[in-house]
Amino acid sequence: MRSEQAGTVDGDAASVDAAPILELHGVEKRYPGTHALKPIDLAFRAGEIHAIVGENGAGKSTLIKLLTGVISRTSGDVIWQGRPVALATPHEAIDLGINAVHQEVVLCRHLTVAANMFLGDENTRYGLLQKKAMIRDAQRILDDLGFGLPAHVVLGDLTIGQQQLIAAARATVRGTRFLIFDEPTAYLTRKEAEQLFALIRRLKGEGVTIVYISHRMEEVFELADRVSVLRDGSYVGTRDIAETNDAELVRMMINRSLEQIYHKEQFAFGPVILETRNLSGKGFEDVSIVVRAGEIVGLYGLVGAGRSEFVTTVYGRHAKTAGTVLWNGQPVDIRSERDAIDLGMALAPESRRDQGLCLNLPVGLNINLPIYPRISRNLLISAGLERAEADRQIDGLKIKTPTRAALASSLSGGNQQKIVIGKWLNHGAKLFIFDEPTVGVDVGTKAQIYRLFGELLGNGAGIILISSYLPEVYELSDRLHVFRAGRQVASHGFRAAPDEEVLTEAIGV
Amino acid sequence: MATIEPITPDKPKRNYNVLFGLTLLALLVLLWVVLALATPSFASGNNIANLLRQGSMIAILAVGQTFVIITGGIDLSVGAVVGFATVVVAMMINAGFPIWAAVAVTLLAGVAIGMFHGFGIVRMGLPPFIITLATLTSLRGIGLLMTNGNSISIDNDAFQEFSRGAFVGIPNLFWMVILVGVPAHVFLQHSRWGRYLFSVGSNAEASRLSGVNIERTIFTAYILSGLCAAFVGILLASRIGIGNPTQAEGWELQAIASSVIGGTSLFGAVGSVHGPLLGAFILATINNGANLLNVNSFWQRIVTGVLIIVIVYFDGLRRRGSK
Repeated sequence: MRSEQAGTVDGDAASVDAAPILELHGVEKRYPGTHALKPIDLAFRAGEIHAIVGENGAGKSTLIKLLTGVISRTSGDVIWQGRPVALATPHEAIDLGINAVHQEVVLCRHLTVAANMFLGDENTRYGLLQKKAMIRDAQRILDDLGFGLPAHVVLGDLTIGQQQLIAAARATVRGTRFLIFDEPTAYLTRKEAEQLFALIRRLKGEGVTIVYISHRMEEVFELADRVSVLRDGSYVGTRDIAETNDAELVRMMINRSLEQIYHKEQFAFGPVILETRNLSGKGFEDVSIVVRAGEIVGLYGLVGAGRSEFVTTVYGRHAKTAGTVLWNGQPVDIRSERDAIDLGMALAPESRRDQGLCLNLPVGLNINLPIYPRISRNLLISAGLERAEADRQIDGLKIKTPTRAALASSLSGGNQQKIVIGKWLNHGAKLFIFDEPTVGVDVGTKAQIYRLFGELLGNGAGIILISSYLPEVYELSDRLHVFRAGRQVASHGFRAAPDEEVLTEAIGV
Repeated sequence: MATIEPITPDKPKRNYNVLFGLTLLALLVLLWVVLALATPSFASGNNIANLLRQGSMIAILAVGQTFVIITGGIDLSVGAVVGFATVVVAMMINAGFPIWAAVAVTLLAGVAIGMFHGFGIVRMGLPPFIITLATLTSLRGIGLLMTNGNSISIDNDAFQEFSRGAFVGIPNLFWMVILVGVPAHVFLQHSRWGRYLFSVGSNAEASRLSGVNIERTIFTAYILSGLCAAFVGILLASRIGIGNPTQAEGWELQAIASSVIGGTSLFGAVGSVHGPLLGAFILATINNGANLLNVNSFWQRIVTGVLIIVIVYFDGLRRRGSK
């Protein structure tokens, strides 16, 4: 309520202070089953650096995609320099002068730096590429920016951070008036980040409007003129950077309105199911956790903090480099996913699309995939058992599908997530690992998934819950471990620390 | 609470495969009716038997090929394996081994070639296209070395009699299609390993995380393809009475074409056994009919190409439309 007020006031203030270059009026984006971005009113002033912050799933990437024409809005108006624009294709956005530098470099690794900088805008004479001229021009731009990077080398030979700088330089050479940086420093060294900041300030000096998306508060305060907060697909408010502080922003980012959907049941803890002692592997170091029957252990941190790497290593997907894993008190050597599954683990992975589902196969097959050995009689699958097991989960989880033979791709995100979870319920696992179980699912399905957690705990299972969404892990975890940059930086009991403190630990303010 | 989520209306797709199969069957019957009316000789028992023999070998190859394509791979070596197998079986028989031993060793050679493909893909990380392309050229070379470039005449009448014979009026070669097709169908649709072929072709990572042994699944697919190809090599040696490593030139492409016409998706995870069988006999019918109609044989190749485009295009349209 407080935030809505703030939003309207600031939205008006923006149009008074300086001429807006880009205005959003009631712009929203709906997907089947989810409301990715609720109607937003926001004006970007010409020549400002405007930071956008929010948790994962707050709607930041949806907003970027709308601004760059990658997806089209469901409704609302976009005003560019005073006139309404469709902004329906990436091409239109680029023609207007809107460009983006993405967190992952989207350039051609096998071409030279110069070829990348002029990709789609090559210097030709009589249809032939003027490679020397392009390298010379590219080198002049890079030197001018003070990057000290060679223009003639193959892009893939540079570090990720250097490639990011090239991507930023590329965006500056094409008449860009409005430039979006999406988490640009995620892979940069401190020195590279400073070079990037210098570039951003210089662009601002030239009157380019910068939208800067970042998790890192110190960068927001270092660079931005104003900052807007998104939360759960809603616009919360905009602040002048001089008039706010990180405590206020963190408060705005944390969601309180959904508290009622987390109903946490307390169960008596049983014996320890899983314990890791100083476990290290690719992407994480020295992690020690204990999961008991009836307990939810939350792992919180930003994307890339090492949480997923930790659980997939426990699950046998990757090899550990040091430390021990104990199952029911016994040291175990888990070499493959099958080993983990046979012990009694279940993993609902982070990405439904890439890791969780066979999208172009039937719902029933997806649900039964882990248990085919059990529902086969001799050499053949028992058709009756296969049907029964699939229907049990479809009915039990209320998966909305016309039949078990429908393809998984035809279901909404929330129902797809139910398949990813449901396929482990028939298996009878003792330890359930849920990696971002509620990303892209609506509130109703979320509540249903949380109730399911209660049922699993009641049956004597333990749960590891990974989330980048603080309210979820905060309200549900009996024990909460905070990860940052591959390390376990803090551990708390249920609600033992204020949520602001947990977020601060994860961000590393 | 859960009811706030709108569901996309969606028709059951279970019958899709059956429907597509019926369409293919209708096309095949239509071709037969048209040819029977257009030429006096098409409907003769002799010609039908000939047509069934022609189509059978490609049909069996296409079944093995389909297993591989369902996993998202491709097996370019099958034509070369057929040629190589004719040499192995011919040399064994001429060396005085009993037929059963010659057949068993040849089939084992097919299994070994399939295992080599699995090894290349799983352990060496080579793309299926590359490893099977390498086998395609190498196997022909090995066969030529073994035979010094000559054909080996098989001097065993019983072995050759088999391909000419018939059982209850149906050519033995066609019975072999049934012998392969029925277990292949059961394997693909009613065993867990069949399910794993589909799941690996659809999403290998999701399958792995669900406990599917991906490596074993890929080995299985290529071994079955190699086995089918070696089996076809034995049948071909019986039919033409020689062992010659340059036989079956281009059959891998006919097998892939049959599979694709039969509804197999080259992107993996979509396919059946009946589809490729029908596809193979549609191609055989076109060739046979063109011969009877005295159409220049060069046209047959063009028609085959056009048919592939038309069928796959309409199949793709329908799949998209039904999504």
